Amino acid sequence: MRSERSSEIFGSTRSHPAEHRDVSTTFTAMASPCLVLVDTADPLLGAAVGSIVKAEALRIEAKFSRYRPSVVTTLNENAGEELEVDAETADLVDYSVLCYHLSQGRFDITSGALRRVWKFDGSGAVPTQDQVRQILKCVGWHRVTWNRPFLRLGVGMEIDFGGIGKEYAVDRALALASEFTDEPLLVNLGGDLRVSGPRRDGSHWHVAIENVDCPGAAAGMLQLSRGALATSGDTYRYLIKDAKRYGHVLDPVTGWPIADAPRSVTVHADTCSEAGQLAKLALLRGAGAEEFLKAEQVRAWCAR
Amino acid sequence: MQLKASGATGAPTLRQALKVAAAGLLANGAAKAQEAPAKPPATSVDSGVLYYHENGRVQAVEPELNVAQKINEDSTLSLGFVFDSLTGPTPYGAVPSTLPQTYIRPYKIVPVGTLVPLTTSSGGSTVVLLPPASGSKTETLAATSIVPANTYPLDPSFHDTRVAGHVGWDQALTSTLKLDGGVAYSHEYDYRSASASLGLSKDFNAHNTTLSAAVNYESDLSFPVGGTPTPLTAMSGDFKGPDATRHEVDAVLGITQVMSRRWLSTLSYSYADSHGYQNNPYKIISVVDPVSGQPTAQLYESRPESRRKQSVFFENKIHLPSDVIAISLRGYKDDWGIKSVTADLRYRYQITQEYYLEPHFRYYEQGAADFFHYYLVAGEALPQYASADTRLAKFNAQTYGLKFGMPLNKGSELNLRVEYYDQRGNGSPSYAIGQLKQQNLFPDLKAFTVLLGYSYAF
Repeated sequence: MRSERSSEIFGSTRSHPAEHRDVSTTFTAMASPCLVLVDTADPLLGAAVGSIVKAEALRIEAKFSRYRPSVVTTLNENAGEELEVDAETADLVDYSVLCYHLSQGRFDITSGALRRVWKFDGSGAVPTQDQVRQILKCVGWHRVTWNRPFLRLGVGMEIDFGGIGKEYAVDRALALASEFTDEPLLVNLGGDLRVSGPRRDGSHWHVAIENVDCPGAAAGMLQLSRGALATSGDTYRYLIKDAKRYGHVLDPVTGWPIADAPRSVTVHADTCSEAGQLAKLALLRGAGAEEFLKAEQVRAWCAR
Repeated sequence: MQLKASGATGAPTLRQALKVAAAGLLANGAAKAQEAPAKPPATSVDSGVLYYHENGRVQAVEPELNVAQKINEDSTLSLGFVFDSLTGPTPYGAVPSTLPQTYIRPYKIVPVGTLVPLTTSSGGSTVVLLPPASGSKTETLAATSIVPANTYPLDPSFHDTRVAGHVGWDQALTSTLKLDGGVAYSHEYDYRSASASLGLSKDFNAHNTTLSAAVNYESDLSFPVGGTPTPLTAMSGDFKGPDATRHEVDAVLGITQVMSRRWLSTLSYSYADSHGYQNNPYKIISVVDPVSGQPTAQLYESRPESRRKQSVFFENKIHLPSDVIAISLRGYKDDWGIKSVTADLRYRYQITQEYYLEPHFRYYEQGAADFFHYYLVAGEALPQYASADTRLAKFNAQTYGLKFGMPLNKGSELNLRVEYYDQRGNGSPSYAIGQLKQQNLFPDLKAFTVLLGYSYAF
């Protein structure tokens, strides 16, 4: 029946003229609330962009998940054996190796094994020095053989891309969405975000910075018309023992949390990967975080 | 605290190194985006199996497959295939009686002398041999069935299988003008239908308004089992007339308007004109005694040779932040005297980010065709047109449905739809004669539909 076809027009991708509200898509990925804003009057286009971002975020989450069968679990379950990795994984490994060197070994994708003794579950259980010494035998990029594309972890070691995956997903998703549309958009995956450029009317995006003492509450509004913001810190994950707060940033060299690190560091940079890495490197400097950010001429916000 | 860029002159080398590395990482990533599955889907597959069950009557199983393939930016090819199989009894159209009634229809022509058992069973009917005309080289087998007293007469032999397919093409001519065309073919064991369509849609007002027009031409051939009966002649086991044809042209004009970012409205008008054989060759109408109301004859129905249909359809879709409401109204009339209205309401409730539940309610009401009669009365002049098919009677129907959808993995969705259809007509017209006063001339029809669907886009 031709007459039924009239409803199908709804399903096509169309663009409609301006009307001032962003089309938003929310979802959960990487255990964080995620948001896509598209500055467009076309709800269908906005929804399509939202689904592209969501699909990409979920793809990266699934590919590098530590909990579900993935590239990462395959590598970890076969620690001790040489495995060939795909090009995307190899790119991430290469990038993390560079970060390892830039941080003098403090940024290390094998530091995840420390979580076996450091449990940031609010229980207040701080491991003993001996436990930490034992686990450090399973930590350290110098114990890994990397001969792109062949990777061999030492026995008992594990890697994870948690320190770079989310920011990488923001950049990737924004790049994919920008191939699909020229409309201005903002991709926010759990607080790490990037904008494609200024809004259609040339104005800034308004971004709330979270209050570290009160998760969920905004500490202030920030105007952003280009680039990315990434935050690293202990807003959500820490443990407190004997009135001492242990942040979730562990030093893979000592096996202990970084002393005197800011509670959180937020950095503005061109890409989310760059911003996230600068924030982490600052955090790993502990008391020297602000000094480091200043020296690197970075627009940043530290909370202590 | 915000750290202002210091006046230091030395270039921050760490940052430069990181910037270059991050850019490199993403440049590789962007290259890979070409094959990444996050691209808008180019192929979509929609498949499903429908099970339909009427209380004590027809049931059907219908697998369906539709595929759409984007050929390039501007054109899409679509293909569809349906197979269905219907079994179960269907109303003859005759009135029930306080006495058992025997119905007959042609079954098979065989050469004279073929050894056939005098009575054999076929689909709930009994096969009998009709005496051959003298000199005939063939003889006719007819199927008879007996309907018990006080029972609504159903034809137990009804069965049907249908194979149908369609091919369509969508072509964007400019950014605002779209052409689509298609052909479809459907084959049943006693009916076949071929159609071709052409449509044009044009966007105006910065894509806020879409005007569309489409025409469809359909040509049907009916080749009923036992031949095409002459209208208003007595039901018999003899073989009847040749195949019959029907042609229909229909046109739709529509306008779709974006009312706001969340509200889309569609209004359309359709007109259809058909000529040729419109009867249901298996339907009969009873002629009853004017006093007792007992059937005295069963005649094949007679419908006009043409039909002109018009309808107006108005639909609104409202996107709430996560849910969708669709409300539609349809008004219909034709020159057979049928007028109908349909109201349809769907609410898509997004239970979680992934799962949704869609309740559905539909109300339908129609008036009778001018030539609908529950029965004809013996002794009165035969009208030119008469049918006792309850689908042409006055009735109303309600549909209650619920659909549940869940994504399986990226791009694919499984959904289950369950619908209950409840049709009610007037089974006891005040003017019923004699024994017909105690019969139900319009049994309620209740039907269940279960549709399991699977769609996949990649």
